[in-house]
Amino acid sequence: MAEQRRGTSGKRWTSVPRRTFLKAAAASAGAAALGGMPGILHAGLAPAYPKGTKLHLLQWLNFVPAGDKVFLAQAEEFAKQMGVEVTVERIGMGDIRTRTTAAIEAKSGPDIILIPNNLPHLYADGLADVSDICEALGKEQGGFYDLARANAFAGRRWIAVPQFVYSWAWNYREDWLKEAGWTKFPETWDEFREMGKKLKAMGRPIGQAFGHSENDPNNYVYALVWGFGGYEVEKDGKTVVLDKKGTLEAIKYNTALWKEALDESGLSWDDASNNRAFLAGSMSVTGNSPSIYFVARDKFPDVFKVINHAPMPKGPAGQFYQLPTLSSAVMKYSKNQKLAKEFIRWYMAKPQYEKWFEVMGTFAIPPTKVWYDHPVWTRDPKLTVFRDVIKDARQIGYAGPPGRKASEALAKYIVVDMFVKAIQGDKPEVALKWATDELKKIYGT
Amino acid sequence: MAAVSSGGWRRWFYLYLPLGAIVILTLFPFYYMAVTAVRPDREMYIPWNRPNFAPFWTLRPTLEHFALLFRETLFARWLVNTLFIALMSTGISLFCGLLAAYALARLRFPLGGALGTGIFVTYLVPQTLLFLPLGEVIRSFRLGDTPWALILTYPTFLIPFCTWLMMGYFRTIPRELEECAQIDGATRLQAMVRIVFPVAMPGILSAGIFAFTLSWNEFIYALVFLSSATQKTIPVGVVSELVRGDTFFWGPLMAGALLGSVPVAFIYSFFVEQYVSAMTGAVKG
Amino acid sequence: MNRPTDPVTSTALASPAVTRAALFGLTRLRRSTRTERREWLLAFVLLLPALTMLALFVAYPFARGIRLGMLDSVVGREGQFIGIQNYIKLWYDSIFQRTAQNTFIYTACATFLKLSLGMLVALMLNNLIGFKRLLRASMLLPWIVPTVLSTLAWKWMFDPTFSIVNWILYHLGFIQVRVDWLGGPVAAITSVILVNVWRGMPFFAITLLAGLQTINPDIHEAAAIDGANAWQRFWRVTWPLLMPVTMVVVLFSVIQTFADFQLVYILTGGGPANSTHLFATYAYQIGIATGKLGEGAAASLAMFPVLFLVVLFQLWYIRRGEGGKGGA
Repeated sequence: MAEQRRGTSGKRWTSVPRRTFLKAAAASAGAAALGGMPGILHAGLAPAYPKGTKLHLLQWLNFVPAGDKVFLAQAEEFAKQMGVEVTVERIGMGDIRTRTTAAIEAKSGPDIILIPNNLPHLYADGLADVSDICEALGKEQGGFYDLARANAFAGRRWIAVPQFVYSWAWNYREDWLKEAGWTKFPETWDEFREMGKKLKAMGRPIGQAFGHSENDPNNYVYALVWGFGGYEVEKDGKTVVLDKKGTLEAIKYNTALWKEALDESGLSWDDASNNRAFLAGSMSVTGNSPSIYFVARDKFPDVFKVINHAPMPKGPAGQFYQLPTLSSAVMKYSKNQKLAKEFIRWYMAKPQYEKWFEVMGTFAIPPTKVWYDHPVWTRDPKLTVFRDVIKDARQIGYAGPPGRKASEALAKYIVVDMFVKAIQGDKPEVALKWATDELKKIYGT
Repeated sequence: MAAVSSGGWRRWFYLYLPLGAIVILTLFPFYYMAVTAVRPDREMYIPWNRPNFAPFWTLRPTLEHFALLFRETLFARWLVNTLFIALMSTGISLFCGLLAAYALARLRFPLGGALGTGIFVTYLVPQTLLFLPLGEVIRSFRLGDTPWALILTYPTFLIPFCTWLMMGYFRTIPRELEECAQIDGATRLQAMVRIVFPVAMPGILSAGIFAFTLSWNEFIYALVFLSSATQKTIPVGVVSELVRGDTFFWGPLMAGALLGSVPVAFIYSFFVEQYVSAMTGAVKG
Repeated sequence: MNRPTDPVTSTALASPAVTRAALFGLTRLRRSTRTERREWLLAFVLLLPALTMLALFVAYPFARGIRLGMLDSVVGREGQFIGIQNYIKLWYDSIFQRTAQNTFIYTACATFLKLSLGMLVALMLNNLIGFKRLLRASMLLPWIVPTVLSTLAWKWMFDPTFSIVNWILYHLGFIQVRVDWLGGPVAAITSVILVNVWRGMPFFAITLLAGLQTINPDIHEAAAIDGANAWQRFWRVTWPLLMPVTMVVVLFSVIQTFADFQLVYILTGGGPANSTHLFATYAYQIGIATGKLGEGAAASLAMFPVLFLVVLFQLWYIRRGEGGKGGA
């Protein structure tokens, strides 16, 4: 049943089954197609992998179904060329950690896992060295962005190959902003608050999630803290410095914003809530990847016309972003490491990556700089803003190194909950002290 | 219970009205699931405070969500997997639990009480603790990504449950029943199989029903021990296929929830009847 | 009210069967020791399958888990032995304290509600004449749907922007503005409890109903003739007779509720601000999300002694009840 690939005939949803077995007759197909393979395969050499070799890749369930389709087709092509079997398994983002942990502990599982955020550092001991791929890729494609590098480079070696960074921007309704007197999206947090006040008075507040979910809440709260000049820990990765004026200002600002401008149900929101609420027209501004825009394009033409995107407002300390990354890691327990690396090289190589990048729209920011001038970014001017966010992105646990401790702080939602506590009525100082104490426990000071 | 005198308004007031209210509350989420499952996608973008929010019905019912479930996911396959795994693990657990329960409830042997408590205690061991070390066990038996990984691990929380439930029932069966049989010349084992087990049928059924439900529901082990889409169970399959990034496919999700429960509900409706009447019969007889 | 073990009541209730069983008990005393040895052997054989399964798939992993709780393991790296430091750390962890508090509130409230509602429904169903079959079957529905999926349905029903619950309450005139069901610290835990009760109540109702049907109606009639009103008959007749079934149901429910995972994982992820974290979800967060396997194992294990005490108490209570009824 799964083996059967389904047709692509204009379905709204996805036409790709979750997992596709890609089988190929090793001898015939492999040899015949070799000539067409660019660079990565040494011409003339017969596939060096015994017949029946299986490669298993575990990936998140892509939001953009078209992206999955392209990826699967590439996997199929690779399998044919190499005369092996490639299995692409896709599961929910949140479950990837569970599977990765279980796989590393049981020393069996997928050969390649696409690991979110800075988690490669968490699993560093279970991941194979992929420095060769990354160094070649960096050289070839104009170097990696700092964020991508931070999440996949562990001191001396690369532990994963960054695949892409999620883009993010404020999504807003141009028509309603105009009604409120804003022809341009505000550039500072103070203006943002002014705008929010008007919008909320009109019954169309700003929507922001504060629940325990991976992306949206963190995207916002970290950006806010950094913009006001706060950060979690010094460069040494030990000295917790969250308890600063900047952080306190950010909390105060957000608590006021909550009452004046935000939709007061954000405490229970997850990553999906704002997408649907925005499209339903119950709010006028929310921070998100372009997924809202894409759904509007397919299903809500009237909303589609009036959406636009804007960068993060500037705070006293500047303008920053927290963005999730996905990186391909080769598992140390894997018996097919060589083949796994070959596969990563294949889908990260320019010809393949470009096809994938194009269908992903501006949802995925490539980890290397060579793609900056690609027409994907400028084809739709409303999406160009997503290109630059990565330049001002900071890694989790800034200014400390992006390691295990930073992930722990993130996974415990300490910064998010600091804001939530203040929203729920704690004094900003009390919330800040709570968060600082928690961070100190994590960083061990 | 005789809290209600027969007939008249009292019966309405004490019985029909509250029971009706509770039934409606219990079933409402199902109704809502059903409506959501046939509601066109666009209607699911109407906030609750809009005048055109129509919660209880939809004017343009659609089967697209069901179609999607069967066309784009392996739902039918998951249903079969889940059934197979649940039936097998329930069978194994009932077998083990029944024998163990009889021994613990009826036979005298040293450390009997301690063993009983010991079996029970295994039920307390949290799954969140077990699933990592269990992963190693599964790997060393080479069971990863096969239904047997679940069929053999589910009994870990089903056996204690079955054992204890059955012990309770065995204790309600008068010893005289089997002692009479033994006096008539039956061996202990014969008495157990021919006399006690049939009488304990309602208990066995109820233990079976609940064991089945527990395995039907299980999530963590199924998530961790299976990786092929063709092997997955309904809870894991539906959730990981229909919650995409920051988008929930509510229609197909609800369609899946509905289809994942209605067939079982149908079987249950039969068994529950058996269960209750068998129990009543057992006592009267 | 009357204790279920009130000697007068239990003597009055002792069925002829029990009395006869007691007589047989006397005969049993005269049995030879050889029979006992044979019993011992039979018991061993009967217990073998269950014990093998449990030893393999629980005892061994459990032992590994306990060991893990005393290591500072992180994922992919075998840790050093650090004794009970993980537990000490948890003890002073403010989120863990909150988690413990949540778990107790959650278990207590949910179990109480499930028992009282379940009892009520069982009593009413028992009294019903028509529709019985249909009602019993439909009452079981919440218990049958995979938890993950029904919880997702609730999540959708609670969604602040699209909440059907808000719509209904608003149109019935109970609320003026929307309620953020999963947002406030009290609202969130209440909602989580409600969903748990919704899911678990049928288990109580159906099992208690089965228990109710075993009660001989003659006893009720006798009590009614003696002038007991409905309330008294419930407390003096039904309740004590149902006690064994009730205790078993409560026991299993307490364990499941205490160790609940899926419901919170799907509904709130422990938020907002950890106000709905339970032992299992927090342990999962530590162990899986932050990769601290040792600490996660310790957090999982922390619920064990508590459960153990609760269960010991209940087991003791169940056994005492059996003793009171004049059995072996």
